[in-house]
Amino acid sequence: MKTELRVNGEPRRIEADADTPLLWVLRDHLGMTGTKFGCGIGQCGSCTVHMNGVATRSCQVLFASAIGTSITTIEGLSRNGTHALQRAWLEDNVPQCGYCQAGMLMAAAALLRQHDSPTDEQINSSITNICRCGTYPRVRAAIHKAAAKMRAAQGSRDPQRPRDPQRPRDPS
Amino acid sequence: MTTPLLSRRDFIVAASAVGGGMALAILPGMPFAASDAAKGSELTPWIVIGADDTVTIRVPCPEAGTGGTTQVCMLVAEELQCDWPQVRAQSISYNRNTREGNLYIGQTGTWSTFAGGGHEPEIIATMLQVGASARERLRAAAASRWNVPVNEIEARAGLLIHTPTSRQARFGEMAAAAATIQLAKEPAPKPQSEWTLLRKLNPPRLHVKSVVDGSAVYGIDVHPPGMLYAALVQCPVHGGKLKRFDFEAVRHMPGVRGVAVVDPSEPRIELEKPAYWARTTAQSGIAVVAEHYWQARKALEALPLEWDLGSGVEWKDTEQIYEAAYSRLDRPADKVVKETGNAPKLIEQVGDAVIEARYLTPLCEHAPMEPLNGTALLTKDRVELWHPFAMASQALVIVQEETGIAAENIELHLPLIGGSFGRRVGGDDVRMVLAVAKKFPGTPIHVIWSREETFRQGRYRDLQAARLVAALGADGLPKALVAHVAGHDPMTAGLDDAAYVNSCIPNARVETSNLPMHILTGQFRGPGYNSQCFVIESFIDECAVRAGIDPLEYRLRILSKWPDPGWQACLREVAARAGWGRKLPPRHAQGLAVGNWGMSGGPREGTTAAAIATVEVTEAGDIVVHALDLAFDCGQILNADAVRAQLEGSMIFGLNVCRNEELNVENGRIVEGNFDSYPMLRIADVPRQINVHMGALTGHSRYGGTGEVAVGVVGPAVANAIFRATGKRLRTMPFRKANLRFCA
Repeated sequence: MKTELRVNGEPRRIEADADTPLLWVLRDHLGMTGTKFGCGIGQCGSCTVHMNGVATRSCQVLFASAIGTSITTIEGLSRNGTHALQRAWLEDNVPQCGYCQAGMLMAAAALLRQHDSPTDEQINSSITNICRCGTYPRVRAAIHKAAAKMRAAQGSRDPQRPRDPQRPRDPS
Repeated sequence: MTTPLLSRRDFIVAASAVGGGMALAILPGMPFAASDAAKGSELTPWIVIGADDTVTIRVPCPEAGTGGTTQVCMLVAEELQCDWPQVRAQSISYNRNTREGNLYIGQTGTWSTFAGGGHEPEIIATMLQVGASARERLRAAAASRWNVPVNEIEARAGLLIHTPTSRQARFGEMAAAAATIQLAKEPAPKPQSEWTLLRKLNPPRLHVKSVVDGSAVYGIDVHPPGMLYAALVQCPVHGGKLKRFDFEAVRHMPGVRGVAVVDPSEPRIELEKPAYWARTTAQSGIAVVAEHYWQARKALEALPLEWDLGSGVEWKDTEQIYEAAYSRLDRPADKVVKETGNAPKLIEQVGDAVIEARYLTPLCEHAPMEPLNGTALLTKDRVELWHPFAMASQALVIVQEETGIAAENIELHLPLIGGSFGRRVGGDDVRMVLAVAKKFPGTPIHVIWSREETFRQGRYRDLQAARLVAALGADGLPKALVAHVAGHDPMTAGLDDAAYVNSCIPNARVETSNLPMHILTGQFRGPGYNSQCFVIESFIDECAVRAGIDPLEYRLRILSKWPDPGWQACLREVAARAGWGRKLPPRHAQGLAVGNWGMSGGPREGTTAAAIATVEVTEAGDIVVHALDLAFDCGQILNADAVRAQLEGSMIFGLNVCRNEELNVENGRIVEGNFDSYPMLRIADVPRQINVHMGALTGHSRYGGTGEVAVGVVGPAVANAIFRATGKRLRTMPFRKANLRFCA
């Protein structure tokens, strides 16, 4: 089938079999290989993209059901790799082999959009991606670091902005 | 002649105006543009400096996440005194190496090693020298241009400065002149005390920028023009054969272009190889080739197939294999690999003070996040391979064996590697890619294994069973030890090179036996050691309990005879840092283990590490690891952050192995095929405290590798902690299977 998908803000005309997973539409039909194939069953999260702003495992979405949605991939997360998460990833040397990291970043970016000051528990429940190299401690630290930088930047722009309404109250 | 290779993403552009103009294997994803190199001046085959000041460094090791590429570049940059942000990494051209008389490898003395640590002595010496030599030629060029004495020229941060006059030039301005200069004498690299980059700075690894913006190119991202995809399936029982298939049933499916049968009985040449290399053979299989990967995969799933499963089906289940392994321990061993004193006789005499235990470690899959894949283009007399291989030397030989084409007509392109952990060393995947691609001459074929095929066609960590018997002396320490280890041949060292059996326990005998099985095994992060450290460190703990001596004190006493102070230093450092001996809440306990990877039985070799696990076992029997602490001694380090990253990652890897990992067998087949049945730790499961302590480094002159050692010590540290928390001794992995429920 032939149709148009909105990918990273731009309309893209694509011809692919209707049952092709979105992952392979992106990688193979659009040549956007930043989104990675890891398991094909929605377990590992290497293929995480944003679908209408929601972190989604693209291996589990068929091309036909992606019609009309807006997709953001790692290539479109920011201009020139300047998202606070990408900067924190570089500063903290988070990736080792790096293969799973696009998915980690996309999952983390979706989390920060929901919670500007995520707790460790929120990180635990949102970042379910697998990393065989064991970068998890650095992933966690870099998410906190990026969140702090984004809050600081936001605060300097908009001091009246209320804090994350979904953040649980400090138990102390 | 140049060979441009343009992908849809225009990432591979390999062209060179220098060095004979062969195609360059670039390390895609690095901040590299081919035009820079074409414009640049090749000072040595290792270094090209562009008129725009970019410094391209050719790297002889792969990048699988260890940071070896960055390490090599830092070694060169330390001496070259270039501006670090201008450094680009590029894989050496393996073809040029062949054509020009072992140009690169003749100097480093080694091909890219397993994972490419960049810390091997030959690589350190070569890269420092290469950098120093190029710097001196740049200085000489500036001195000649300005007609001043060379000792008045300083090289600093990419600039050449005439100190008396402050006149300066950029490296890029002098590179062409420097390339023509021959030095009368090679300069000596500076003393370590004058290093400004090594040991001082931890810049982001060179591939990280491309990783975070999605432009990094791994093997699976390669796409030469005209490429077709192949989806491959091999016989589900290793060693079985394809009996029949019906291509007509899928020929009509969208995009399908053909089928390739891999037949192991086709004639192949065999070249001479070092004894420690893998002996790869083609495995019977079939691949469907199509325009798009998903089309190939769907057609493969629809393809009617029949296998002759072979004799492996006789293994009905995992228990049968484990019983065979345990029972092998009761029969005389195949060989004795270590013998000091007369351990069997002493054990016979001692009676009551004899302690005996059996252990077993299961088959494990490497599970790198990038599934197996590779791309090859074969023509009548030439091969190009784009493949995430972790050891180029084995890959090159396998290409020759599988295609019959001479090395000078083979070009290997090495993209980034999405994890190896030993899986991508032996090159069996290289062989399968070529076996498929040679059925489609003239067309680049990208073979991708599904995750399930990657799991079921592994070269697994072998399963090992061990029986240990010791006699304790009056001081409670072992005075005699007999160990029998049964596993798949060839077993690698781990137990017989442990410090305990090398002069610490006065009477020691280590025996091994082969367990013949159809399942294919290979190297797995710390081969042999990753099982045997669990065995020996659990057993020493059992001896300590029997002797009624604190496990830390017990180890310190045994190892007091070991002539390498690093072991004691690691134990004392980790004990101090983790608060060994402090009071913990009920059902909490600490466990300890010490080990070494790479020492080959001798002191002051490889890397030693001691780990303490702080563990809670809940009433329901769940294991919660609150903290892992580790102290290590690899002699010296070049980049503290890179070492820390390796140790953190391998502690978590080791935790996953001991807690979660086991492949099961059913009628000869591997049961587990994906992460739903082969659990992996995720961020929520990882201890909040993963602590690497630097205080045990002895400063010995070696630079030991740090990727493996933690994988060995974490498992026994956790098992020993579980024993102290519950009184239950875990002698088999994975620990998740153990029933640890507290009975009220």
